[in-house]
Amino acid sequence: MAVMTWLRSLIQRRRVTREIDDELAFHLDMETQANIDRGMTPEQARRAALRDFAGVVQAKEAVREVRTFRVESVWQDVRHATRTLAGHPGFSVTAVTMLALGIGITTAMFTLVDTLILRPVPFRDPEQLAHLWMGSDRGGRIVVAPAVLRAWQQSPAFDGAESAAPATALLEAGETVVTRGIATVTPGVFNLLGGVTPLRGQLFDDGGATHSNGVLVSETVWRTLYDADPALVGRSISVNRERLTVVGILPAEFRFPSADTVLWRPTDLIRPGEMAQAYVRFATGLPREDALRLATDAARAADAQNATLRPWVFPLAGIDDAYSKQAVPLLGGGVVLVFLVLCANVCSLMLARLTTRRREFSMRAALGASRARLMRQAFVESCVLGAAGAAAGAAVAWGFVSIARALLPEPLLMQTLNPLDLDARALAASSMAGVVATLAAGLLPAWLGTRVDAGESLRVVNRSGTETRGARALSRGLLVLEVAMACTLLIGATLLARSFANLTRADRGLDTTGVTTLWLSFGGNALDAAGRAALARTLEEDFRQLPGVQQVAWSYGLPPGGGMTSFGDWTSDTAGSSPQNLEVERYVVGPEFFSLYRIPIIHGRGFAASEPQGHVIVGERLARTLWPGLDPVGHTFRFMEQQFTVIGVAREIHYPAIDSRLDRPEFYHAYTEASSTPMVSLRCVPACPDAAVIRNHLASSHPAVRVQRAAPAERNYAAQLARPRAAAALALTFAAIAVIAAAGGLFSVLSYGVSRRRREFGIRTALGASPRQIRRVVFGDGLIVAVTGAVIGSLAGAALARGLRSLQYGVTPGDTASWLLVLGIVWLTTVLACWRPARTAARMDPLMMLREE
Amino acid sequence: MPKTEYLQGALDLLILQTVTLSPNHGWGIQQRLRQISRESIAVSQGSLYPALHRLEVAGFLTSEMTASENNRKARVYTITVAGRKRLSAETDDWRDFALAIGRILQAE
Repeated sequence: MAVMTWLRSLIQRRRVTREIDDELAFHLDMETQANIDRGMTPEQARRAALRDFAGVVQAKEAVREVRTFRVESVWQDVRHATRTLAGHPGFSVTAVTMLALGIGITTAMFTLVDTLILRPVPFRDPEQLAHLWMGSDRGGRIVVAPAVLRAWQQSPAFDGAESAAPATALLEAGETVVTRGIATVTPGVFNLLGGVTPLRGQLFDDGGATHSNGVLVSETVWRTLYDADPALVGRSISVNRERLTVVGILPAEFRFPSADTVLWRPTDLIRPGEMAQAYVRFATGLPREDALRLATDAARAADAQNATLRPWVFPLAGIDDAYSKQAVPLLGGGVVLVFLVLCANVCSLMLARLTTRRREFSMRAALGASRARLMRQAFVESCVLGAAGAAAGAAVAWGFVSIARALLPEPLLMQTLNPLDLDARALAASSMAGVVATLAAGLLPAWLGTRVDAGESLRVVNRSGTETRGARALSRGLLVLEVAMACTLLIGATLLARSFANLTRADRGLDTTGVTTLWLSFGGNALDAAGRAALARTLEEDFRQLPGVQQVAWSYGLPPGGGMTSFGDWTSDTAGSSPQNLEVERYVVGPEFFSLYRIPIIHGRGFAASEPQGHVIVGERLARTLWPGLDPVGHTFRFMEQQFTVIGVAREIHYPAIDSRLDRPEFYHAYTEASSTPMVSLRCVPACPDAAVIRNHLASSHPAVRVQRAAPAERNYAAQLARPRAAAALALTFAAIAVIAAAGGLFSVLSYGVSRRRREFGIRTALGASPRQIRRVVFGDGLIVAVTGAVIGSLAGAALARGLRSLQYGVTPGDTASWLLVLGIVWLTTVLACWRPARTAARMDPLMMLREE
Repeated sequence: MPKTEYLQGALDLLILQTVTLSPNHGWGIQQRLRQISRESIAVSQGSLYPALHRLEVAGFLTSEMTASENNRKARVYTITVAGRKRLSAETDDWRDFALAIGRILQAE
């Protein structure tokens, strides 16, 4: 009721004023009437009533004051708070910065986690959608035969099954030639996903028209390359030197099957050798196991190769690889820690101000301010601080998300089909959290300050303003917590950073500097073996003409991990040897391959010009596994029905990756017959022409050859580096913020402590304490906090390190160097934070001090 | 007539007690106080109206603008549940206080 009255008075001020006027007028009338009844003339009666009223205006003012008291005093509080905060710019800026960082980082991180993991893909019933392929227990090819896809389309297990295969293409728009993501899709794929409406034009399956030479383009391409030309639909554009007609323009938000896909071409999967990448929509109401059983049967009936294989299901919703699943929640936890550290810091900053504030509060209490009034003022002050922090936090979050969008590794961003945009809900939530933390931090001083009786603050002995015990314990506790959390974060970050450093420095067993790789396609089975060989020869001539090219090597399979992966039982010819179950990488390599990649043959010989089919060169690891302690040259081994003879041993090549399963043993076949989808490695001095230049060159000289992918060899390793790099960079950022915040907290609390204990230090110095002894007191104060924090933080860090084990490469949770580094940083930071306060304390002039008294 | 100082603390109590009997407007409350106290307590309007509004803001009274006698607009105050609680608490306090004062004065 009171709130209602207050609200009404706030909203309907004028009406309230009129009502008060009415009320008092009524009183006057009644009084006048009463006077008349007592026998006065109306004029006398009126005058007597007014005299009785003792000043109508004053009465009105008094009433209005009652009515408007709250509104105006809140406004007064806000002004007072703003003045107080502006009066201490150092404190205010620090507190707002910390809050802003906390809120900003938390929001940005939540946005990332939400976009990457939590939010479903932007399609209809996304949980029913999946990428489906057939493989053994260890994996397999992600493509299926078109017959399998057709069988799945007919199967009651699915509401739909379509194919979408991502690749890259050369796109020409006027003078510009760029490489862009393209997908070859079956026309029904848009329907399968649901909710896809072209901005302009139509989809492939609209209107029954055939669009075999049609292409759909993304809004992003339309805007950036064609200046949002409204007449683009119906025009023809050049994709891979082929004229295709633009059928429609899809909104920029539509990202499928890969987040970088901006072009879509239709296919009916009837070209020879074309495979399907199946995306299915599971039938509603059918249990998933039953659906998969039906799918397996259908796949086996359609393609005998699937006889021993089982379906692999990759849901479209969210990230599903192990690294991100582990790293993202851990980073999320890191964010929470940073947030807590920053909030604790704001809290301890406000507590550090408690001494001065407490005197102010006590003084005001002594002058008659009620406790509720003081608490309200503290509340308003915290709100103002919190609001400023939240506003700045929104800006910080926006900045972080922009940076993330620009810098986050593609493999991570590419995993989500959601656009990365700042999340309003996250901003609201973390702002709320930040404001609540500030409130808690701000109200505590007010509570502690108003608890002391008014007289105490005025007592003479208290003039040096010692801390209350509660505030001291609390601020020290908060500091310990901060140091502990910073320490924990630092341990996690150091391990991740060292893992990343180890990954980049890891021995790959080969040299990729100046090497560029190309994935080519000679157009299915259009050419016979002789034709392909002839084409390969002219291509090779062409490559050698490119500036800087020194070596050209054909191969099928490119390091790292780009060969054919064969898994199963491998049997060596040594007597009594049992079959080894292994996952082995097989490369088919041309004569210059080993010298191009600087892989030495350490035993036996390399491939001769015409090497028999069964002759292979094995890597060291496979040699050790199959023929332990023996020279494998001349030995044979079997895999399934095939038999191989070892003619040489090559130095082992490595694929440094967090997931150690990716680094498989390998062996090499001779590249004797030109493949229809060969790969080429070029070594150039000093560096190869840009990949786009090579593509463009090929497109004009050999239009029949399709370049599926062209990239520096170095980039082929990037996929396994990108996420560890992102994780390490984020973790290091968080740890740095936490350490700086903790150091700042320690510094400010110690400085405050010293400034309060000036009298004590002055007396000590006067009594003969050396500067060194004084310094030791202050250092001791700081070190107790730091050591306690470091111990707690190390325990938590040890647990974290064990949790991080699967994200580490080449470091153990107990890595001595990392721990020494972390403890060294904590120690150094503590010393730095203590240095100035200690020096100030030691330099205090006792005479000055005592004179001040 | 007692001095205002005595009245200040007790005014809220007196108003609440008066309104308990029946909802009333400011003038009516003032008249009733004067009658019941046999002209010994006269509350000035300058104290009465701020007190009424303060009690309303605090939630002990509610008010309503009504058309009263002679078709004039009057604000009629009614006591709330919180007001009744407050009244009974204050009444007890006042009795204790009055008793204590009485004892001290008699102890002479």
